[in-house]
Amino acid sequence: MKPPKFAYEKPRTLEAAIRLLADGGDGAKLLAGGQSLGPILNFRLAQPELLVDVRTLPELSVARDEGDSVFLGATTTHSAIEDGRVPDPTRGLLPAVARTIAYRAVRNRGTLGGSLAHADPAADWVNVMALLDAEIVAQGPRGERRVRASEFVRGPLTTALAVDEIVLGVRIRKLSARARWGHYKFNRKPGEFAEAIGGFVHDPERGVARALVGAIGDAPHVVADASGLDEPRMRAAVSSAGFGPDTYEHQIHFVALKRAVARAAAA
Amino acid sequence: MKTALSLKVNGALAEAQVEPRTSLADCLREHLMLTGTNVGCEHGVCGACTVLIDGAPARSCITLAVACDGADVRTIEGLDDDPVAVALREAFAAEHALQCGYCTPGMLVTARDIVTRLPDADEPRVREELAGNLCRCTGYVGIVRAILRVLAERRRSQ
Amino acid sequence: MTQSAGKGVGARLRRKEDERFLRGRGEYVGNLRMVGMLDVAFVRSSVAHARICAVRKPAGHEAAVFTIDDLAGVRPIVANSALKGFKSAPQHVLAKDKVRQVGEAIVMCVAPTRAEAEDIAAQVELDLEELPAVVDMVAAIKPGAPRVHDEWLDNVVLETLVDDNLSGIRARAAIKVQRRIRTARQCMSPIEGRGVVAHYDRRLNQLTVHSAAQMPHINRAGLSECLGIDQGRIRVVAPDVGGGFGYKGILLPEEVCLGWLTMKVGRPVRWLEDRFEQLTANANCREHYYDITGYADADGRLLAIDCEAIVDSGAYSSYPFSACLEAAQVGSILPGPYRMDGYRCRTWSAATNKAPILPYRGVARTGVCFALELVLDAIAREARKEPYEVRLASLVPPEAMPFVNITKKYFDSGDYPEALRRAVKALDLPKWRARQRRGEPDGRRVGVGLAIFCEQAAHGTSVYHGWGIPMVPGHEQCTARLSPDGVLELRIGAHSHGQGLETTLAQVAHEILGVDPDNVRLVHGDTALTPYSTGTWGSRCMVMSGGAVATACKEIEKRVRAIAGKLMEVAGDDLVLEAGRVRVGGTDRSMSLAEVAHVWYRAPQLLPADVDPAGLEATAGYKTKQDTGTFSYACHACAVAVDTELGTVEILDYVVVEDGGTLVNPMIVDGQVFGGAAQGIGTALYEEMPFDAQGQPLASTLADYMLPGATEVPAIRIEHMETPSPLSYFGQKGIGEGGAIAPPAAIANAVNDALADLGVEVLESPITPRRLLAAVAAARAGRGAA
Repeated sequence: MKPPKFAYEKPRTLEAAIRLLADGGDGAKLLAGGQSLGPILNFRLAQPELLVDVRTLPELSVARDEGDSVFLGATTTHSAIEDGRVPDPTRGLLPAVARTIAYRAVRNRGTLGGSLAHADPAADWVNVMALLDAEIVAQGPRGERRVRASEFVRGPLTTALAVDEIVLGVRIRKLSARARWGHYKFNRKPGEFAEAIGGFVHDPERGVARALVGAIGDAPHVVADASGLDEPRMRAAVSSAGFGPDTYEHQIHFVALKRAVARAAAA
Repeated sequence: MKTALSLKVNGALAEAQVEPRTSLADCLREHLMLTGTNVGCEHGVCGACTVLIDGAPARSCITLAVACDGADVRTIEGLDDDPVAVALREAFAAEHALQCGYCTPGMLVTARDIVTRLPDADEPRVREELAGNLCRCTGYVGIVRAILRVLAERRRSQ
Repeated sequence: MTQSAGKGVGARLRRKEDERFLRGRGEYVGNLRMVGMLDVAFVRSSVAHARICAVRKPAGHEAAVFTIDDLAGVRPIVANSALKGFKSAPQHVLAKDKVRQVGEAIVMCVAPTRAEAEDIAAQVELDLEELPAVVDMVAAIKPGAPRVHDEWLDNVVLETLVDDNLSGIRARAAIKVQRRIRTARQCMSPIEGRGVVAHYDRRLNQLTVHSAAQMPHINRAGLSECLGIDQGRIRVVAPDVGGGFGYKGILLPEEVCLGWLTMKVGRPVRWLEDRFEQLTANANCREHYYDITGYADADGRLLAIDCEAIVDSGAYSSYPFSACLEAAQVGSILPGPYRMDGYRCRTWSAATNKAPILPYRGVARTGVCFALELVLDAIAREARKEPYEVRLASLVPPEAMPFVNITKKYFDSGDYPEALRRAVKALDLPKWRARQRRGEPDGRRVGVGLAIFCEQAAHGTSVYHGWGIPMVPGHEQCTARLSPDGVLELRIGAHSHGQGLETTLAQVAHEILGVDPDNVRLVHGDTALTPYSTGTWGSRCMVMSGGAVATACKEIEKRVRAIAGKLMEVAGDDLVLEAGRVRVGGTDRSMSLAEVAHVWYRAPQLLPADVDPAGLEATAGYKTKQDTGTFSYACHACAVAVDTELGTVEILDYVVVEDGGTLVNPMIVDGQVFGGAAQGIGTALYEEMPFDAQGQPLASTLADYMLPGATEVPAIRIEHMETPSPLSYFGQKGIGEGGAIAPPAAIANAVNDALADLGVEVLESPITPRRLLAAVAAARAGRGAA
């Protein structure tokens, strides 16, 4: 199938982009790498009147070390993270996750901010940024706004962004030297959508112990205090994420979480 | 309605008038008559349409042509003299890495990326990197062997 | 005799086709460009079963939008079988009055580009009155089910019965295992979709239809029947085709529509199937249900099979193979490579509100092998034997060859037990049993499985005339022409779309004429340029087209000998054809084929007085010595690791021992086996087209319909046995489909082996994590209850 008709603008400045969004209302949609939007357009599931292409806006492509955190601009590609071409605050977690996103050809164009704004519940950054308690920085006509990643995704394909707001990037606190992490993605084939994502981060120096029950068809479920997480608590977390016992979903999410925790312990 | 587009395609300037909704694949195939890039799924899974955009493999079926204005695009037609592609073509023929040929252009673009980006790749890594290129004919046996052969040749010659 | 110099039959020759494909110069139907060409998009049904109350064309686009009422004089596609009781289901090329499946084409829209055609299609308004859908084949054939076709009394396309009296065997069998086994509906999924470019040649007064087709001559016949114009006015060209596997062995409603449309609008028109259409609208395959009972003696020797089987045929009867081929085939091939004393099998082809099925690589054999080989493993468990031991007790032994089995199949040759023994050895069964006892460090469970089958291929008239379908293969023909420059041109009516016939048929020609394969040019896939053929299906080309090429080349050889003998003043029989030359035996006097050809074309004054006036061009027909088919066979053996926490299966090793008779090009044979096995792995573990209760197909992208990738297919190992077929020209056997037949059975058996001590037995493909975990949970619950 081919996409429906739409207009296309490639503004030169962030302000111009926000103005186009504000003027366009519901009919305007942002385009970054287009790797999620492209298929949706081809299926005519999205029928925007205007696409605003922000892929090359300089404000969105910065990546900087801010001391105790790292800021990654929205148009940072998955492959840039995979290859370590941008700073990694997570002692290997982000590159490891990036390598499992879709396929290299998609990672070369797909972006961090685009994936977050698209808010597919199975998407890796949607889940991992919630695990890391990252901060999403957005810009709109009313200025800059910061949203915790765990509050950014509101539901399937739904975010806290207003129609005229643009994700500038993501601020991620650095994991300390003694931090351990584990991540387990369950999917049928490399590159396919996750059926379950388990995550665990333990950073004693920062007093962080968080666990993730991800790819649950909704905003990710994060256990903010996951110190001493044992199997009964893992099962409880999976139940809290909405999967009753003795279901297939409960089983795979429990195993993904269990394996993520085990990986963190073995790290 | 149509937008003027200026690309570098296979080393030469190419201009086209396309609708914003036109994918890079359709721009190449329908406007620039470069039909070597095949379209298999139009949703980014099968990999048949993989081309190089600014040197990196990308899905031309889910990438809008207008978003590539000014980019350097290379398709299978532009790899005739590329030394890595020359070695890959030889290995693909020797290892029977193609049958119907439909996935082959995208497969070669990905194979070239593997060989150049991951010179130390072993068989599991090659298979992982090929996950985004589907072949329905060969069972991947010849494709994997061909890529490993070129990797080994390049390691020997360095 | 000629000398092959390493390029003839048996040579691992590189493919002649590769050069163009490796440079992106394949000429697929989507690559054709014609001045003024328009694109077509279809409006398709969004529901599985409905009455069409109204179709409203969008204002301003009336001239670009067509319904069945506009297609005056176009007849429906009819693919009937003459088998008694077969019910006909004519298919209008655009739906008339009713739609019977999701995706059925209702309206055809034409515009300068596909995108614009889709814009128009999106504005067409349909008023559909939904009817109850028939979705499950088991429910479909029960009394009282809603009917797919109002004029039928039930949903049974055809019922068949093979019935021996099994009562004696039932009484004496020490072992009886009954299983209910299911295989999922699949899509064959060539990477290239279907596609049609049609235009009208005013000078020739001829409709030309370029189509991604496996059987262009059959398509021409069907187009003629539907469009009501004689076959001479239709030319079907199948250019390079991006994979077939059976998916392109059909007369398409879209071909008929575009043939009509180009004559209507006076411009070339094009339709390229997209993946959404392929997955949700067009033909599916493979959906079988078996209620099967195996009877064996205490040692596990097979005594009888008793089976009731249903095949979900979908809503229509595809041309030419019909809606009943697959189920009826189940009845005739279920006994597989085994001897048994009794056999009973009843089959139903069930009509449902789903896409019609097509014969996919292996056709019914994949389902049959799955059902039978799972039962044999169950018998082995009952008999407390290794699975290979019970098979050895029942396989047809080599000394019985040729062997006529219980359903009158004629097994031409081979050593089936040896294939099994070699596979067990190649896999190293003791190694895996030891590893199994040790256990895996990661907690997974290892299992081994095997499956063996035989594949009837290249079967002909005597097998097919009984079906009474629109296609009965007879003699396969080749036209060979030695050109003035010594290049040999071969014209065949079959089509090569990955099988490498441009190479292997050149090897055959080299074998006969000594012509260098580089100087052989294969013309195929064009009804205007080639002799009639039923086309490429049934693993038949290497046997049938190969035999035809050899026979035509033999005729050319005779004529070359006559001319060259006169020129060199020796008897034709004293000449040797080798390396592109004709040499006087025992001397170094020779002339090139080009020099011989030059005399025929440019210096006829030098020809012998009694020269054959047909010259250096010959059309020859070929049939195998008897047309019951060659029987290739193979044993697949594999080891898997099963993760019982997530329900995943990893293939650790996979071995195929195959007997394809004489191998014309072993490299290409290996490629066919690898590719087939990869598809079989998809059938076993990944590929499934699910439907909801309303008949909606639920996999609309390749992210939902999962094809195996490089990480899902292991480095398969192949060993060859080469027992020549006594029936074919060089002893070659058809092997194109075999690879796809055994993997589901071998892998399921390995999974069941891995989980045997848990009491888990999977009986449904694909073995998805959801199914596997459900089986594990059910076994746990069952043991808890016990």
